[in-house]
Amino acid sequence: MTRRETEILLQRTFKLPAFYDEQWQTIERILNGERVLLIEKTGFGKSLCFQFPATVFKGATVIFSPLIALMRDQVKKLQLLGISAKCINSGQTAEENTQIIEEAKRGRIKFLYIAPERQENSEWIEATQQMNLSMVVVDEAHCISVWGHDFRPSFQRIINLVKLLPQGMPVLATTATATKRVENDIAAQIGNGITVIRGNLMRDNFKLFVVKVNSEDEKLIWLGKNIETFAGKLGGTGILYTGTRVDTEIYSKWFNYLNISSTSYNAGLDTDSRIAIENGLMNNEWKCIISTNALGMGIDKPDIRFIIHTQIPQSPIHYYQEIGRAGRDGKPSYIILFYNPNEDRKLPEAFIEGGRPSIRKYEKVINVVKTGLYGEREIIKQANLQTTEFRVIKADLIEHKILREATYGKSKKYEFIPNSQSLNTKTFEELRAAKTKDLDKMIEYVETTGSRMKFLCDFLGDNSNHNFANCDNTGENKIQVVVTPEWTAKLQDFRENYFPELIVEGRGSNIVNGVAASYYGVSNVGSAIHRSKYENGGDFPDFLLRLTLKAFRKKFGNEPFNLILYVPPTKSGSLVKNFAEKLSQVLKIPISHVLQKTRETKEQKIFENSYLKAENVSGAFTYTNPSEIVGKKILLFDDICDSCATIKEIGKYLTSIGAVKIAPLVIAKTVGGDLV
Amino acid sequence: MNTETAYWMALEHEWGCSNATGNGKVDKMNIVIKFFHEKQMSIADFFQLSKEEWKNEFAMTDLQIYNLEKAKSSVPNYAFLAENLQNSGIEVIPVVSADFSKTLKKNLKTATPLILYIKGNKQILQEKSIAIVGSRDASDVALQFTDNIAKRASKDYKVVVSGFAKGVDKQALDSAIAYKGQSIIVLPQGILTFESGFKTYYKQILDGDVLVLSTFHPKAGWAKELAMARNPIIYGLAKEIYAAESKPSKTRQGTITKGGTYSGVMDGLKRGRTIFVRQPEPTEKNDNLFLIQNGAVAIDFEGNIIPTDQIEMPKTFAEKIKEILSKGRLTTKEIHDKIKFEKSDAVLKKELEKLDFVERKKEKKKNYFCLKGIEEKGLFN
Repeated sequence: MTRRETEILLQRTFKLPAFYDEQWQTIERILNGERVLLIEKTGFGKSLCFQFPATVFKGATVIFSPLIALMRDQVKKLQLLGISAKCINSGQTAEENTQIIEEAKRGRIKFLYIAPERQENSEWIEATQQMNLSMVVVDEAHCISVWGHDFRPSFQRIINLVKLLPQGMPVLATTATATKRVENDIAAQIGNGITVIRGNLMRDNFKLFVVKVNSEDEKLIWLGKNIETFAGKLGGTGILYTGTRVDTEIYSKWFNYLNISSTSYNAGLDTDSRIAIENGLMNNEWKCIISTNALGMGIDKPDIRFIIHTQIPQSPIHYYQEIGRAGRDGKPSYIILFYNPNEDRKLPEAFIEGGRPSIRKYEKVINVVKTGLYGEREIIKQANLQTTEFRVIKADLIEHKILREATYGKSKKYEFIPNSQSLNTKTFEELRAAKTKDLDKMIEYVETTGSRMKFLCDFLGDNSNHNFANCDNTGENKIQVVVTPEWTAKLQDFRENYFPELIVEGRGSNIVNGVAASYYGVSNVGSAIHRSKYENGGDFPDFLLRLTLKAFRKKFGNEPFNLILYVPPTKSGSLVKNFAEKLSQVLKIPISHVLQKTRETKEQKIFENSYLKAENVSGAFTYTNPSEIVGKKILLFDDICDSCATIKEIGKYLTSIGAVKIAPLVIAKTVGGDLV
Repeated sequence: MNTETAYWMALEHEWGCSNATGNGKVDKMNIVIKFFHEKQMSIADFFQLSKEEWKNEFAMTDLQIYNLEKAKSSVPNYAFLAENLQNSGIEVIPVVSADFSKTLKKNLKTATPLILYIKGNKQILQEKSIAIVGSRDASDVALQFTDNIAKRASKDYKVVVSGFAKGVDKQALDSAIAYKGQSIIVLPQGILTFESGFKTYYKQILDGDVLVLSTFHPKAGWAKELAMARNPIIYGLAKEIYAAESKPSKTRQGTITKGGTYSGVMDGLKRGRTIFVRQPEPTEKNDNLFLIQNGAVAIDFEGNIIPTDQIEMPKTFAEKIKEILSKGRLTTKEIHDKIKFEKSDAVLKKELEKLDFVERKKEKKKNYFCLKGIEEKGLFN
C-alpha cells in the first residue's frame, strides 16, 4: 500500500487527515512484517503506529501494556471508532476476562490489550492457541531494560515470547522515555533486525520551575497558599506528586484543612477507588490530585495544566516521564519541582541503596528453594524476610536465571534452576553506580543555570536544536517561598489536629479502626518515645499524653468505653502501663491490669513480615477474669504499632471472650522501615 | 530456548502430512532430513520457502503443501505456548539437536518423534539406559524382580526408563531413586499436565536424577491411545529392555485382551530388539513364557540369562493337540475341555483346521478330529 492509499483508509477509520513522517516510516515497516522500536514523546501519536496497521491486518493484534489505565483509555477510544477492542486485566472479574478470551478465540476482537503478567495464565495461553495473530506490540518498552527507570521483570517473558515469534510477524515496541543506553538494550533484546525510529523530545509548552526550600513546612506553606490561585489562574487541574504514600495522606489532609479541592491516590487503593479517581481526574472534579507516581502513566488527559513534585525523583528520566503527562494539548503547562537540599536526597538515595537486600538474604532464599518447592509465603517465613525484600530478591534471581517462577494450578512456586551460575553481585554494583549517577544528574537539573528543557533532552539522548526559553533560567520568573507567621500558625494548628488512622477492622473480630497521635517519624513524637524507651528517659512526656488524648477525642468523641486495657509489654517495663493509667485518670475509664501473655513473645520488630509477626503473637494473650469482659466496650492502648498484628490478635481474643467493641489507641504509628 | 522451537512444534503437531500408506512420520522425517542435512537449511528458512519451492525441491503433494501452509500459520500461536514451556523450565529438543537421544533415533529410525519435551537433566538422554516394563497389577515377585533390575542398573550407572504407570513402572522409578540411580519418566500425556509429578519429583529433578519426557502436545491430557503410543518411546530410549511381567488385561466390558506389555514386547521383538523376560515361577499365570517362546531372552530373578536348554517350555497348542489326539479321536467339545481352551468352540475349530496333521471326520452326524493318516479303529471294524 502507498502512503496515499493508507491515508485514505486513515481518514475513513480514524477520521484523521494524514500521518506524520515518522508515523508513516514506522507503519510502512510494520505493514512489511518488520520489527520497530519507536521512541517518541508523549502526545506524539505512537498508538496510531500500531492501531492503523492492526485494522489492516486480518487477525488480532496483541498489545502488552503494564498500565491498566492506559488499556482502558485506548479501548474506550477504539470502541468509539467502532473498532472491536478489549482489554484483559486484573481489575476486571475473572468472568469478564473469560468472556473476552472466548470472543478472542472466535476471532471477534481486533485489538487485545493485556498485561505482561497474563502470560502466566493458562486460560490465556489456551486462547493464544486458537487466535489468529497478526502483530505483537510492546507498549512502555523501556520496562524491558534494567537500565530504564521502570524495569519490570514480567517484561522478560515478553522478550522471550518475541524471540520465539516467526520471521515476518511484525513487532512494534514503543516508549516515550529511553536514553541511548536503554534504546540499545531494548534493540539488542528484541533483535532480529529491529529498526529504531526516534523523534525529538522537546515540549515547548512546558514552563519549568525549581523551588529550593529549607524545610517540608515551606513546601506545605507555599502550596497551601498558592495552589488555588495558581490553578485558578491556569484554568485547569493538575497533579501533585509526593515521594511516599504517607506524604500523599499528609498533603491531602493539609489541603482538606485548607478547603482546597483535592483528593489523594496511591497504588494501594482498590480498583474501584482508582477508577473513580481516574475518572474524576478526566472530569476535572478536583483542582489537584495528590498522588505517588502510580497515577497518570498512560492516562490520556490532554489538559493537565500543572505537575508539581514535592520530592525529587530518582533521575531525570523518571522526571521527564512523570512531567510528560502534562499539557498534551500543547497549551502552557506548569512544571514545578520542590527541592530541600538538606533532606530530599535521602529518599531517592534510600530507594537506590535500600533497593536491594543484603547478599546474605539472597543466599537464604537460594537455600530455601534448594530444599523444596515452595510459594512466596512459605519462603518468606522460612527465610524471615519482608514481602517486599523477597520480591526484590525473587526478581533479581529470576533475572540472573537462578530462580524460576512456575505456576502450579493457581499458585506460584519457585524452582531453583539446576546448574545455574552463582549470584553475580557485580551487576548489582553496576546498577547501583548507574542509579547514583542518575540521581546526581537529577540534582544537577535542580542546580543548573542553563535551560532545563535542554538539560532533559540532552540527558535522554535527543540532541536536536530548539529555542529552549521555557524555564525559570531562561526568562520565566523564579518562584520564591515567603513564610508568614499567619501561615506558620495555620500549619501548627493543622499538625496538632491531624491524627493517622489505624486500619485494623477484620472479619470475625469486634475491633474497630483506631487512631494514633502521630506518625513516628513525622514530628518530635518519635524521638520522645525513643528517649523514654531506649535511653532511660523516664515516663513518656506529658505532651504525648495531651496529643494522645486529642487524637482520642477527635476519633471517638464522646463515645462511652467501659474499660481501658493495654498491651502487656515485651521489654519496656512499665512505660505503657503508667501511660495507660494516666489515660484512665483523665478519661475516667476504669483500667484493668490482667490482660497477660500466656507465653514469651519476641519483640515484633525483629520479624520482617506480617506472617511471622502474626505467628509470634498468635494465641499469646489471656485475660485472667474473662467474665469481666462480656458485653464491654474496650479502649486498647499501646505505645507504638507498625503492622498492628498484636492489636489485631488481642482484638480477636477479646471478641472471643465477649467484648462488643475494641478500639485501639496508640501514641505513634510507624511507617514501613522506620527505625524505632 | 531455541528461537526455532515454535516452528518445530508446528511441524510436529500441525502438519498432517499422511502419504499414501498413511504413515505421516516417514514423510516428516524425510523432509527434515532433506532440508536440514541435505540442503543445510534451518527450519525457519524451510518455512519461508514458496509453495513452488516446496513442490519442486521437496516433491511435496498439493495436499501436503496446503497442510504445511496451515502449520506455518500456527507458528505465532506455538510461540506463546513455547514461551510458557520455557518459563516452566521445560526444554524442547528437536530431532536435529545434539541433545536429542541418539538411542531413540537409532531404534525408531523414521518413526522417531520430531521433538522431545523434557524437564530435568538432559545429559541423562546420552547415558546407557535400560527400560523396565510390566503389568499395572504386577505380582509381588514381579515387583521384587523390578527392584533387583533397577538396583543392578543403578549400580552400573545405567539409566532406568519407565512409563509412570502403576505396578512395574512405578516400582522401577521408585527403586532407581532409592538406589540413587538415574531415571527417565516417559509420560503418557502432555508435559504441561504433569504438575503434580513435578511437585513430587522436584528434588530428584533438581539433583539431576530424574528426567521427565513427553513426545505429545504439551497440553494433551492422559489418554489410552497416548499410553499405547508411548510404549515405543520407552523401548526406543533404552539399550536393553526388561519385562517383569506380562499379564492379560480386562476391559471395562469384561473382554480379556493381551496387555500393553505383551503388545509392546511383541512389537519390540518384531523390530529385532533383544528383550529380557523374567522366567516365571511354575505357579504364575502370565504371558512371560509365551514371550520367551516367541523369541524373548529368559532371565532369572536376579537378571541373569537362563540358557535355552534349561527352560521348561510350556507345550504349544499344536503339541498339546498332537498329544491328546495320539490317544484317539475327539470331538471339538472334548478337545476344548481337555486343553482348557480359552475361546469358543468355533474358534477352536478354526485353529484345529489350520493344523496340517489334523483331519476332520464325520460319523453318525458327529464331527471328530483325529491325526492324519492314522486309521481310527471303530467299535465295528
